[in-house]
Amino acid sequence: MAKDVLIVGGGPAGLHAARNIADIGGNAILVEQRDVLGGTPDEARYAALTPHLESAQDALDEMRAAVIDRPEIDLRLGSTVLESSGKAGDFKVSVAKNGGEAEQLDVGSVILTTGFQHFDPGRETQMYGYYENPDVITLVDAEKMLSKHEFVRPSNGEKPERVAFIQCVGSRDRRLGNEYCSKVCCGIASKEAIEIRKLLPDTKVYIFYIDMRMYGYWENQLYWPAQEEHNVIYVRGIVTEILKRGDRLLMKGEDTTMGRPMEVEMDVIVLSVGMEPSAGTREMARVFDIEKNKYGFIHTPGEPMDPVSTSVPGVYVAGAAAGPKDIEDSIGMASAAAMKALAMVRSAG
Amino acid sequence: MSRVDKTEGSIEKAEAVVDGVDISGHWNRMLEPRWITDYPTEAMDWVTSLDGGESLRACYQCAKCVPVCPVEHVGSYGPRKLMRKVQLGNNLMEDPDLWLCTSCAACLRVCPKEVDMLQIMPAIREQAVLEGHVPPELAKAFENMGRHGNPLGQPSRKRIAWTKGFDVEVPIMSKIKRKVDVLWYVSDYTSYHPRGHDAARAMARVLTRLGIDFAILGQEEKCDGDSPRVAGEKGLFEMLAEENIATFDKYEFDRLVVMDPHAYNAFKNHYPALGGDYNVLHYTQLLVDYIDRMEFSETLDMEVTFHDPCYLGRHNGEYEAPRKLLEAIPGVKLTEMPHYKATGFCCGGGGGGMWLDGFAADHQSERLSERRVKEAVEVGAQTLAVTCPYEPSRFEDAVKSTGNDGSLEVADIIELLDRAMGLSES
Repeated sequence: MAKDVLIVGGGPAGLHAARNIADIGGNAILVEQRDVLGGTPDEARYAALTPHLESAQDALDEMRAAVIDRPEIDLRLGSTVLESSGKAGDFKVSVAKNGGEAEQLDVGSVILTTGFQHFDPGRETQMYGYYENPDVITLVDAEKMLSKHEFVRPSNGEKPERVAFIQCVGSRDRRLGNEYCSKVCCGIASKEAIEIRKLLPDTKVYIFYIDMRMYGYWENQLYWPAQEEHNVIYVRGIVTEILKRGDRLLMKGEDTTMGRPMEVEMDVIVLSVGMEPSAGTREMARVFDIEKNKYGFIHTPGEPMDPVSTSVPGVYVAGAAAGPKDIEDSIGMASAAAMKALAMVRSAG
Repeated sequence: MSRVDKTEGSIEKAEAVVDGVDISGHWNRMLEPRWITDYPTEAMDWVTSLDGGESLRACYQCAKCVPVCPVEHVGSYGPRKLMRKVQLGNNLMEDPDLWLCTSCAACLRVCPKEVDMLQIMPAIREQAVLEGHVPPELAKAFENMGRHGNPLGQPSRKRIAWTKGFDVEVPIMSKIKRKVDVLWYVSDYTSYHPRGHDAARAMARVLTRLGIDFAILGQEEKCDGDSPRVAGEKGLFEMLAEENIATFDKYEFDRLVVMDPHAYNAFKNHYPALGGDYNVLHYTQLLVDYIDRMEFSETLDMEVTFHDPCYLGRHNGEYEAPRKLLEAIPGVKLTEMPHYKATGFCCGGGGGGMWLDGFAADHQSERLSERRVKEAVEVGAQTLAVTCPYEPSRFEDAVKSTGNDGSLEVADIIELLDRAMGLSES
């Protein structure tokens, strides 16, 4: 009988991979270190999904329902993978309930779906004063407020008159070592800007950018509606410093299309933070002895034709463990990885 | 509606008043935009082929450099604009913009692509120097440094004029003929400028009172060469460095202590490659370890703000030693300006700016030192504390020109220590 497929990480990619394996007659063990499924979208309380703005929690509920109480899926919540040995078709993996004793599992293949973490803007030499000014927040903080259908100035709980998003915080930066574009922040900022404008029609919302990166359909699903229907103001030119002026924030930057410096007052400034590999992704790279790329994400040497195989045969990756991805990419990768992982256990017998 | 006059390439309203100002006729003339007809690559290829010029091409026009560039505040300048100029075919060789950068490093601090104007500017300037495209004031300073070993064109025997006529003995290495703990490199402006003499004498009194075993080079001392290096005279820098290293190597000392952050930068970061490797300290870094031994007899009772020198702060990461000294002085209340520490605003003297005052005035709306003085006045400071020999004269001029004479004092930290320790002459 074919061995089980081990899936590490219970976010969208892991949930989708587990469901796919069960759907085509395989057996999966899904290990998740938190006590709940849903991954970062759940933990960070995402409000609406990009690009169509449907409820993130409803979408996660549907994905969770598809894996719970299925005989083909062995759910291991509150658990982590400690060590691994063996090779493709025959891995010996030790898994422990957090704080408990390790259990040895025999699995034929592995899918890593350990995801990303949001960039910590405090790392950026405190340039934007994220930890000093309560009204300087991140996309994630904004998302938490929006999930409760509110958007206020954290410093005083009042409605902001002016809100600015600053793009590329923690991305496309050689000094930080994060030279990559995090791919989703332009879309998410535009999405949040639309949500804020819907909630607070009198609030002016600005997005300051280097270049708006709306690949594919996000152009007219997010960017154009934000600009044309919701009157979000896009200004080309990034912001360098945020200073306090009275009880407001003063942004210093340059409007590069005008070629003029700007000093503009804002009530709330949202930093569009990018993605970095999660601690779990780094740890699983160690456990399974797979290559990471220079940014710490899991290396996929077969790109572009094979985006899910890692440097170790029998170990696959899906979602943002392999670099910045949106949920759509993650879901597609999860299906591709499920296919390869199941083919591997079946061929190994 | 006022009549509109059109001529070839321009348009103007016969009558127009804006904000109560009459701008009728040619005062409101709008010219047709000049079309860009080509993006020639030669200028960029040339700049990036220079040793040090390579990173200009990396600019992706994010514009983070623009709001932090001090020269941008008094004109239209930021590094990303210079990059666009080069992209449009201007190699900057005969452009005034080549000489306005003060090498303050504010842009490099925030640049996500590490475009390094501290290397790009000297690389292009070096070519301009070779071709003879140098503003005359700067050329004169270069000549003085080459001929006399200092930018003021003073004879070397006058370097020790400040040691005469006050009651502290200043030992000179060539005379005492023994090893010392501290070799004090006095620097040009401290040695020659009348306001520098105040700091030099204060330093001599404080070192003596603290019982620090020190001596100076006296007439053998020469300009450290760091500012001409950034201003494009690399050959002059190397010549001065070799001469200074030969002099240092004649003597034995444990620590090389400097008054000038530019000299600190040269000795610490550029002399080692030429064979001169020393234990270099800025004087604030030396004295911060002696605070416990300082006996203060005076209370200064003043609101002080501190101007971070670019070459001590951003270039070399020292923000705390000067502040600790100021805070140790009884009665001093330190208030920070909005631009402080890493965001400190340049005085305009670096990178050759010290010798381009007239040139800069012709191309800027205001001196950078005037901007800075206004900032100090805005935070209510009575004293602007400095710790770079370029600054007392620059800021004192700016205090006068901004109409703050009598309300803002400029003083080197060493002068304040000297006063609080009850040593000063006045």
